[in-house]
Amino acid sequence: MENIVQPKPYKISEVRHETDLEYTFRFDTDIKVNHGQFLMLSIPKIGEVPISVSDQGDGWLEFTIRKVGKVTNVIFEKVAGDVMFLRGPYGNGWPMDKFQGKHLIVIAGGTGVSPVRSTLNFCARNEGFVKDVSLICGFKGCNCILFKSDLEKWQNNFKHTWLCLDNEDKEGFCRGFVTNYIKELPLNEYEDNYEIIVVGPPVMMKYVGLELIKNGFSEEKIWMSFERKMSCGVGKCGHCRIDEYYVCTDGPVFPYKIAKNLVD
Amino acid sequence: MNQDINIKTLQKNCFRQSKVPGVFLLQMRVPGGYVSAEMLEIVKHISETWGDGNFHFGTRQTFDVCGIKYQDVPAVNEYLEKYIKSVEEDVCGVDMDLIAGEKVGWNPKAGYPTIGARNITACIGNYHCVCGNVNTFELARKIEGIIFPSHYHIKINISGCPNDCNKAHLCDFGIIGVAEMEYHPDRCIGCGLCARTCEKGSTRVLTLNEETGKIEKDTCCCVGCGECARVCPASAWTRKEEKYYRVIIGGRTGRQTPRTGKMFLNWASEDVVLSVLKNWQNFSAWVMNYKPEYLHGGHLIDRAGYKKFKEIMLEGVKLNPECLVAEDIYWHETEYRSNFNVKPLSLHHTAGPQDKK
Amino acid sequence: MSYRLTQNEADAVFAELLKKFDIYAPHRHVCAGRYSDDDIVKYDKVESLSDVEYKKKSDYPMKEVISPIQQALFYFTEDEYRESKVSSRPILIFARPCDINAQKIQARIYAGNGGFTDSYYERMKDRVKYILMDCEGGDDNCFCVSMHTNKTDNYSLAVKFHEDGSLFVKVKDQDFDNYFQEIKEIEFEPEFVNKNELKVTVPVIKDHETLNKLKAHPMWNEFNSRCISCGACTIACSTCTCFTTKDIIYGDNPEVGERRRIESSCQVDGYTTVAGGISYRKTAGEKMRFKMLHKFHDYKERFVDSDMCVGCGRCTARCPQFISITTTLDKMSKAIEEIEKGEV
Repeated sequence: MENIVQPKPYKISEVRHETDLEYTFRFDTDIKVNHGQFLMLSIPKIGEVPISVSDQGDGWLEFTIRKVGKVTNVIFEKVAGDVMFLRGPYGNGWPMDKFQGKHLIVIAGGTGVSPVRSTLNFCARNEGFVKDVSLICGFKGCNCILFKSDLEKWQNNFKHTWLCLDNEDKEGFCRGFVTNYIKELPLNEYEDNYEIIVVGPPVMMKYVGLELIKNGFSEEKIWMSFERKMSCGVGKCGHCRIDEYYVCTDGPVFPYKIAKNLVD
Repeated sequence: MNQDINIKTLQKNCFRQSKVPGVFLLQMRVPGGYVSAEMLEIVKHISETWGDGNFHFGTRQTFDVCGIKYQDVPAVNEYLEKYIKSVEEDVCGVDMDLIAGEKVGWNPKAGYPTIGARNITACIGNYHCVCGNVNTFELARKIEGIIFPSHYHIKINISGCPNDCNKAHLCDFGIIGVAEMEYHPDRCIGCGLCARTCEKGSTRVLTLNEETGKIEKDTCCCVGCGECARVCPASAWTRKEEKYYRVIIGGRTGRQTPRTGKMFLNWASEDVVLSVLKNWQNFSAWVMNYKPEYLHGGHLIDRAGYKKFKEIMLEGVKLNPECLVAEDIYWHETEYRSNFNVKPLSLHHTAGPQDKK
Repeated sequence: MSYRLTQNEADAVFAELLKKFDIYAPHRHVCAGRYSDDDIVKYDKVESLSDVEYKKKSDYPMKEVISPIQQALFYFTEDEYRESKVSSRPILIFARPCDINAQKIQARIYAGNGGFTDSYYERMKDRVKYILMDCEGGDDNCFCVSMHTNKTDNYSLAVKFHEDGSLFVKVKDQDFDNYFQEIKEIEFEPEFVNKNELKVTVPVIKDHETLNKLKAHPMWNEFNSRCISCGACTIACSTCTCFTTKDIIYGDNPEVGERRRIESSCQVDGYTTVAGGISYRKTAGEKMRFKMLHKFHDYKERFVDSDMCVGCGRCTARCPQFISITTTLDKMSKAIEEIEKGEV
């Protein structure tokens, strides 16, 4: 019988430093992934952690990993040519068929930009897949800004872009939380033909949801991606369960009408 | 009141002098501080018939009846027969005809024959307490016949666990129940609760190794409290079935040199504790030149010196393999008067047989 | 077919079975309890019938045989993760209906949930056959009848122990017929408990609004001061399945070692902590609420046909703080009533 938790080795082809704490690893692999899915990555000394795919292309996948604590440091010593172990992909990913041909609104905060980056890059690379993209993207401060070259590209390619920093000023960035800019989204322009992606820390997602509803957006069109602790990724270990849902197999993407009721 | 009373004789009979001439307090032994509640009827009868109608818990867990008049002592002693026979003979198996092992013969109508070996006190131990590692009063009952009746003084306190609620550290011979722990890593979920508990309430000997998810232990400093087993959700820590004891000697209160006792034995088996105690009469006799005097056990150790104490107390004792013995003891006393011990040689106490001189 | 076996006959049959099977049963560990001089009964591999503790309900559940507290999943090197091996010998487990029925619940998670089946669970489960143990109603924590887990037909043999060492056996699985040749047949059917001292009614939570109001109900605050979040209840639970994965490194090389699965508990700190330090249920009350609702609402909401509890009562028995799951369930029912009346 197939061992569903069997990790397989893949070669790292590139390591990029996004910030002092966040590195992006590109792997050579033929694993096919839906935008917004995640894989289980084996980290020496730790075990396995779920990591969302932060970009993908023909024969490669990228993951952006944050350095937390001493023990994860081993992974940050990895260089191109080294091997690491993966299994997956798991979860449902974003409902891309629903997004097609519509105005896509993306509201992302901090490391929450990772699980939506492949979708944004896909939209940027495939003009016409969605009508246009409105992006509100926030980081804590200058040191936390991820995917700098992508941000520049998105700012040029997308119809509306707000890049914000919570408490710091920087050229090209507005100041304040992403929730502050929801009222600036041109609801009329979307003519009821839109879908919204929200991803970020739990508190941010909660308030973004409330602010969107307050500003007249429809709850049926909102999608949120959850990050929870997982040991297996395949509905066994129990850590990610909320109510009758398992974030690993039923999510990580949930429609807002389910997401808003999920109390951990 | 004009009475001629030998208070020393009464004291040996367990009647204590009071402030009022001719009025005494009876101390009734309760080995391990634990007796059948029906004994309270006897206490009640004595108190209401000859005493002041009340009783006090003696500081050594005796039933103390106040207000007994000198002329009533014979009647009280006669009545005490059933209490002494029940508690000492039936429950503890004491041979009342022996005094310090010598056949003397006990008159059951004459009350307690000696006061020297004081009542053995104990906490409730594992009979009730969630922390207890041993059955304290059962041990007390086994010890009772070894030290009593005897004119040699010894105060023994038994505590069921190293929390030492019963102050084994403040008596001549303190006994503490310690648990040798076994760790079963296959049952350990790595929650670290034992390590946090050990840090908070014991000697901080456990650590959760984050890399293995298992517990590491500094066995040397483990006091054997058993708290790890008490808190473990998965029985990854268990006590060994065998019971072990720590023996603390030489603790005392007092006007001169109060001090906390020091560890004499660690991880001693029950057999070892009992056979060590069997040497107590010999040791006391030796120190005092075979003439009992009113002197507490800790002072006897001082006079003989720890090494002599150790030599006599371990005579013929077969130590269990786990048992550790203090090589030396460094006392730490409160000296109310500095240079208390520095005095003319002529005032020094002697120890051991003096007839050679 | 049923038989009456003398002690000698029973020992002989047991010895024969041992040649083919690994046999597990509740076993008494003297003085290994939480408190001094208390015993503990847990499942162990046994070598003779006298090793079987048939009177006292085991403190720990039968699930430990099939999904042990700790097991090796893989041995890894820099190049590969090699699956751990396990014996292929068949297993016989002495078990009562509650523990056997608990496996149905475990199986829904290990085998099938989310479209995945766990091979470590399957490889153990496939080796197992049950010897049903007579149960005379359990103890005062049992409520299997209320949970409809008091009966089972999932067994190969059924046994009733007698004080004199003799044994009644019913052979349900023909594979075992040949062990009982030349032994006197009798009439014997295993009896199932049909009444417990303790009865519970699982409340119905009729909609999501009620559920979220129940989550916010002050009833859970009680546990912030009472529950110490030790997880003893979930370790003792017949049905809980949660685990974590831990890589153990051999020596200095961080890339050579063993990947283990270790039982985990929703009650213990760190259960929800994600990289970056965010955790989701911090108070004892929240953790208790999560456990209770999983047992008596969420599981059934997902898998429909049962709650995630077999009424074995081990959680109550093992709780060092005397928190009773049935009393807590009653409090939940009362809170739901209040919610439905609009009082909270």
